[in-house]
Amino acid sequence: MPTERTLSIIKPDATRRNLTGKINAMLEAAGLRIVAQKRLRLTRAQAEGFYAVHKERPFFNDLCTFMTSGPVVVQVLEGENAVARNREVMGATNPANAAEGTIRKAFAESIEANSVHGSDSAENAATEIAYFFSSCEIVG
Amino acid sequence: MATERTLSIIKPGFTDKETVIEIDAILKDAGLRIVAEKNIKMTRDEATEFYEGINTKPFFQDVIEYMTSANIIVRVLEGENAIDHYRTLMGATDPGEAAEGTIRKLLGRNKQENAVHGSDSPENAKREITLLFDERALVYTSTLTSRPIPGFTS
Repeated sequence: MPTERTLSIIKPDATRRNLTGKINAMLEAAGLRIVAQKRLRLTRAQAEGFYAVHKERPFFNDLCTFMTSGPVVVQVLEGENAVARNREVMGATNPANAAEGTIRKAFAESIEANSVHGSDSAENAATEIAYFFSSCEIVG
Repeated sequence: MATERTLSIIKPGFTDKETVIEIDAILKDAGLRIVAEKNIKMTRDEATEFYEGINTKPFFQDVIEYMTSANIIVRVLEGENAIDHYRTLMGATDPGEAAEGTIRKLLGRNKQENAVHGSDSPENAKREITLLFDERALVYTSTLTSRPIPGFTS
């Protein structure tokens, strides 16, 4: 299995509830290494750019408002099949459908305030990592 | 497995924002992409043509009445094995028999008001997509990687 990198974001609902450490512990327990990490307050333009792929969706405006409502922690995770592994440990987008033992089952408040983001493919991971990190900030 | 396209309809009574967001979350987790979408009210003629495969069934007129009773959201979904994959995500026609975690289990009210339609075969997917969309409309989110990257300062 290939070593991959994926972009993870700990969302404002989780930073507000002081859950950064608990979420990092779950990521690390899942075999993912946090090889880059920073805490940011996204601007509207940054959030809209990041979620540009969703701009036609009915939730786009609310999502951007939510993502700029408090600090986020953006991270690069590294590990075997990191994209799929992170999606497993995050659980379903809707916490009502998330499996036991996943981050969203444990912490998510709603479909929108669902505590974490993870890239959905290796292709998008590369784009999303480049959006937030320069190569010298990622220390594997 | 091949990349396929399938036609999906969010039926009358299920097009409110909250419901659409619940459906979108399931599509997103499943890796199906929405490559075209419009919110329309079907005419009787469109519905009759769309459902021509069941026009001898006793419930045909009820289906036409219902499907033309309010706005619907029609979408083309794209992904690996999209036709069967989306049928699995929808669940059984009767929400009472649909598996846990499926759209119809989550949202359906009865066999008619079961939230969503999905094409049942490659032939019908092509027929339904052609009926409801112009080929040139089938593009806007299919290039997932071409997202704009504005200047970013950390």
